[in-house]
Amino acid sequence: MAKDIPDSDLSAVRRSVDTAQGLPNAYYVDPTVWEEEKKAVLFASWAGLAVAADVPENGDAKPIEFLGMPLLLVRDRSGEVRVFQNICRHRGMILVQEPRKIEGAIRCPYHSWCYSTDGRLVSTPHVGGPGQNKHEAIVKEDLGLIEVRSHIWRDVVFINVDGNAAPFEEVHADLIARWSEHEQPLYHGGADSFFHLDVQTNWKLAVENYCESYHLPWVHPGLNSYSRLEDHYHIEAKGQYSGQGTLVYRQLRGVNEQVFPDFPNLSEKWDEGAEYVAVYPNVLLGVQRDHAFAIILEPKAQDRTVEHIHLYYSQPNTDEGMRAKNAALWKTVFEEDVFVVEGMQKGRLAPHFDGGRFSPAMDGPTHCFHDWVAGKFEEHRQSA
Amino acid sequence: MSDLDERLLDAHARDDRHALVELYAEAGRTANSVDASCFYLTHAYIFGLEMNHPLTPKLHAELRQHDRI
Repeated sequence: MAKDIPDSDLSAVRRSVDTAQGLPNAYYVDPTVWEEEKKAVLFASWAGLAVAADVPENGDAKPIEFLGMPLLLVRDRSGEVRVFQNICRHRGMILVQEPRKIEGAIRCPYHSWCYSTDGRLVSTPHVGGPGQNKHEAIVKEDLGLIEVRSHIWRDVVFINVDGNAAPFEEVHADLIARWSEHEQPLYHGGADSFFHLDVQTNWKLAVENYCESYHLPWVHPGLNSYSRLEDHYHIEAKGQYSGQGTLVYRQLRGVNEQVFPDFPNLSEKWDEGAEYVAVYPNVLLGVQRDHAFAIILEPKAQDRTVEHIHLYYSQPNTDEGMRAKNAALWKTVFEEDVFVVEGMQKGRLAPHFDGGRFSPAMDGPTHCFHDWVAGKFEEHRQSA
Repeated sequence: MSDLDERLLDAHARDDRHALVELYAEAGRTANSVDASCFYLTHAYIFGLEMNHPLTPKLHAELRQHDRI
């Protein structure tokens, strides 16, 4: 029988893949570790929050709760997408309750302090007494909305809550370079190209499952006919990202053999190549010649994750029927993974599970992620 | 209750913020003291700011004139 591993001992996780153990159970089921993980992993890195397409027009605002924090996603008057804490600087009241268009200013529903869409405090009614809208102690320039550090890449809005991560372009320079050919306009397919899955699992298990191709022939047998295991390769960038690639990407075809238009000027590699990468911690991206996708894993609780799936195309106004067919196809694939990630979550309640052993040949990308998570915990503990 | 009071209450009940801008501006113009006027103009200005109402710059200028903003 395997022995329990102390929660704090991550040395086994950080060994090379052939001898490493996976993260211990506590990292999936222990509330104390969950609280630590928020700070060590999710707040300390560039976490996916939403997509810019959630606020398509200037003035659009969408309240979002992230790990219990009330945030506000706003596209300001100039078109810049920003993330603020969704609270008034006066009494901490929630500013925006439902997604809506901000016509002019964001007015707090409590005492009506008003903020511009770029976060500036613009008016403080009666703050100096009735009809007196200023007071020397209230300096508007010091009391704008609290902005959360954010960065948009491939339409995903990433946030660094603790503000201490290196710049996004620096952290992900390697992946940005790897996919430089795909650095071009993406068009969200609209309402028919978004769906979500509410899954009873820890967010990390969704990442781990996405990273590897090992499970494909067993969990997605429909892929066997054209996308065999040996047609896939691992993507492993230690300390950064991991995933898988395929050499036999096949385009979706409509009833008249029509296909989605390609992203322009891609090299031959992408004719039949496609790559699927987990951008740590919680964003899963896919790039292909004719469409792309972004999945934001929203950690709702230690054992619950909502997967937000968004599909993108190379042009606006692609064929509606084709988009619906494509969304249905991907939904089927991602739903096939649900029993796996939920089953692994339940398995983490087995008291003597030791984190598991990896296939040295097939589990490199998953181990790469474990190693990164373990490293974030160790950094956090060393700085505490 | 004055006619203006009734119209204000009705606009609040309907949450018609464009109407509120104009009604509070009217209340500001008919108030019998500078303080009362600025109280109402403040409300007009705030709803104007929220709704990006075309009266907003004028309301701001009036409050500024009385050193209230």
